[in-house]
Amino acid sequence: MNQNRLLNIILALYVLCIFVFIFAPILFSLVFSFNSQRFPTIPLGHFTTEWYAKIFADPDVWLAARNSLIVSVSTALLATFLGFCTAYSDFRYNFRFKGPYLALILLPPTIPLIIMALAMLAWLSRLGLSGQLWSIILAHSVLTAPFAMAIIRLRLNQMDPDLEAAAWNLGSSEWQAMRHIIIPFSAPAIVSSLCLTAAVSFDEFSISWFVSGLNKTVPVVILEIVQGNIDPQVNAIGTFVFLTSMTLVILAQVFFISRQVKSHS
Amino acid sequence: MDLDIHAGEFLAIMGSSGCGKTTTLRMLAGLDAPTSGEIRIGGELMNDVKPHERDTPLVWQSLALFPFLSARENVEFGLKMRGVGKDERKRRALEWLDRMEIGEFAERNVATLSGGQKQRVALARSLVMEPKMLLLDEPLSALDANLVIRMQAVLTRLQKELGITFVYVTHSQSEAFAMADRVVIMSQGEIAQVGSPKDIYRAPANRFVAEFVGRNNILAGRVTSQTDEYVCVSTPSGDFTAAAPADPRATGSPLTFAVSADLVSVSAEKPDSANTVHCTLISEEFIGSVVTLFLESVDGHEFKVQMQERDLIELDLCSGSQIWLSWLPENAHVLEGE
Amino acid sequence: MKRKFDLYAMTWRLPIIFWQFLFFVGPLLFMVAISFFVVKNYRMTEALEMVNWQKMLSRNYFWDSYWYTIFIAGVSTTVAMVLAFPASFALAFRASDNLRRWAIFLLIIPFFTSYLVRTFSWYVILAESGVVNAMLGQIGLGPFKMLNTHFGTVVGYLTLTLPLVMILQTVTMANVDKTLIEAARNLGCKPLATIWRVVLPLSKTGLIIAALFCFILSFGDFVAPFYLGGSQEPTLPILILDTTKSGQQWPRAAVVAIMMMGTLFAIAFAAIALAYRKGGAR
Repeated sequence: MNQNRLLNIILALYVLCIFVFIFAPILFSLVFSFNSQRFPTIPLGHFTTEWYAKIFADPDVWLAARNSLIVSVSTALLATFLGFCTAYSDFRYNFRFKGPYLALILLPPTIPLIIMALAMLAWLSRLGLSGQLWSIILAHSVLTAPFAMAIIRLRLNQMDPDLEAAAWNLGSSEWQAMRHIIIPFSAPAIVSSLCLTAAVSFDEFSISWFVSGLNKTVPVVILEIVQGNIDPQVNAIGTFVFLTSMTLVILAQVFFISRQVKSHS
Repeated sequence: MDLDIHAGEFLAIMGSSGCGKTTTLRMLAGLDAPTSGEIRIGGELMNDVKPHERDTPLVWQSLALFPFLSARENVEFGLKMRGVGKDERKRRALEWLDRMEIGEFAERNVATLSGGQKQRVALARSLVMEPKMLLLDEPLSALDANLVIRMQAVLTRLQKELGITFVYVTHSQSEAFAMADRVVIMSQGEIAQVGSPKDIYRAPANRFVAEFVGRNNILAGRVTSQTDEYVCVSTPSGDFTAAAPADPRATGSPLTFAVSADLVSVSAEKPDSANTVHCTLISEEFIGSVVTLFLESVDGHEFKVQMQERDLIELDLCSGSQIWLSWLPENAHVLEGE
Repeated sequence: MKRKFDLYAMTWRLPIIFWQFLFFVGPLLFMVAISFFVVKNYRMTEALEMVNWQKMLSRNYFWDSYWYTIFIAGVSTTVAMVLAFPASFALAFRASDNLRRWAIFLLIIPFFTSYLVRTFSWYVILAESGVVNAMLGQIGLGPFKMLNTHFGTVVGYLTLTLPLVMILQTVTMANVDKTLIEAARNLGCKPLATIWRVVLPLSKTGLIIAALFCFILSFGDFVAPFYLGGSQEPTLPILILDTTKSGQQWPRAAVVAIMMMGTLFAIAFAAIALAYRKGGAR
């Protein structure tokens, strides 16, 4: 065996180790959710659906699930709308202060969530908007709009800039061209963006925890359960959370990647 | 610039890239606004008319077909925007696709069509609007040479049949000269010359046009004497006689004239002519049966001569041969300016 | 020129300006303002006093926490960069384009899945009687105390940052012109020297940006040091959490938050200046 092949095998194993580290918590959470032990370890206990039965019977979990659904769907719609507006403005127009304009929308994810959470809590209480479900939605829309903007902007980059002008040239007003050309062209990115922003919102807990008051979302419930004791219910909830966000992320990527491949052919 | 486009003519606008020819077209379509001046179509002032309120469909260099629609839906698009009913616009779209000989691809996604087929969809999409004027922005630049010739025939035939105005922007001389009734040569946002292809070829207005069209020998000197018919010029390459320009020049004033390369004769002995130059052959270039000779005079000026290949054989030349060039005074065309 | 109000353009441009000023710039500026407010009888009243700043910045526990946070985030960033590098290198230079795309596809997934649940999963795995210690026990080692240690905190941070660092490193190095590496090898440069003298300088900007993002994420995270590190040495985010949640002392929490922002800005500027500095191998 020559040296180069040996090196390649070692590197491949190393990459595998890193991926195991990254995905281990996800896999273990899934395994533990069907495991009978209260303190899961090796060797595993017997198979059980006890934890699932428990969370299904818990009205608090149902309420949190409902809240999370409302928050993530509303956030996705709002953030994707804001992201689309900004992406289109950036694509179509040049104007003064465009740099600060773009910074204004792209900066929020670089600010630590705990700081955003504190600032949001103080500001929204001041405006009398805190403690509601839509307080979370407001905050999440600011946090996730940049993702929407980035995804939709990338899609618009692939568009022939003459396409919009061609529509005007054939008698459509700017609004009609938006409806018949820009939106259909961006559709896959819009779907991707809806999925991704929903996934981010669905998993976010710092801001939700600070501003939600009594309206807990699923991550906030998890946060409160794990404060203090080990309860395998968390694994059962976690499995659902993972399934939801992974489905959303994979859907987003399928929409986006498949379209990108298509537009290259 | 000041330009009148006649109804029903095939007008080609030519120039090198960045000369403003595409901008001119975009201004006609209302996509760019003129900083000053007026644009009138059919006598009506168009400056403030929005692009979608104009009847000036454009065939784009990039074609700009809508990628998520079928060929038929692309053609229907303009009619849909104009509020034409569903059945009516489908009928008209299919009619035009048939006319462009691509009816069988009507339901195909445009991304799956070949370059030539896309080109025909783009034409159909504009023409289905039944415009009085069609704008074309280098529509054939993406096609290969054989297809270009075929599409040229399609375009000229369509223009004659429909009797509408075509404004055709191109950087290709062969396309412009082959199809257009009149050609506009543009340079740095200004019109350098407007005229029939023959005018531009035989009587370039100025040095820019003479050089742009190519295959012109350009000589500059000073006027020594002139009559009603002829003007005599002294240049570093010798003394020559040219046809007198419309504007008389004073003796001693600078003057430039052009002689088309295909109007220059070649001979081994000094011919008995008013205009002769003794040259050394530098190289030859064959394009089909036409050959271009590149020569240099004693003072280092480069001359070009175009001739039939069979005429060349008699001369029996090789690189370095010494030969005489000559041309008739009436074929020496005086250019505007110095 | 006529300056007409363009309704169409403004429909797309204005919403985000309005929204971000109301719900992004507004909250941050207000946070600066409340750092000068005072709390009396558990009620916050508007004021312009330095008392919160004086109280926080004169306390040892604040500065202990400050330096500890920088230290542990720095350690975690170093570990993440070093651990990720060979893997990213392999993906960038030894993997096919297709394999690399799949790897990045997989690495994006954790970024959008619940960090909280993953941390809790580590909590169980790393516990005294958890999976890792049980496995080590089989071969006669341990048990090791991994929770409530720096190690636990770093594992938590890595859960958050490693996928992102991997993506940024891989993409950066995959964009390095491969012919330059072949040229270096042809000229007799040894493999390790090639990495040091060619690959690293050429991907400097991307690598520094990766490290910067890694640091920002670790610096601002409270979950890892709280659950896996046991918060015995509280980091600044934990300090904010405690001050806000238990004491209603929002003004003091705001002071901590502003100190964090200032530190992050300084570090970000330094990193970006370093990343785009002229010279070096370019």
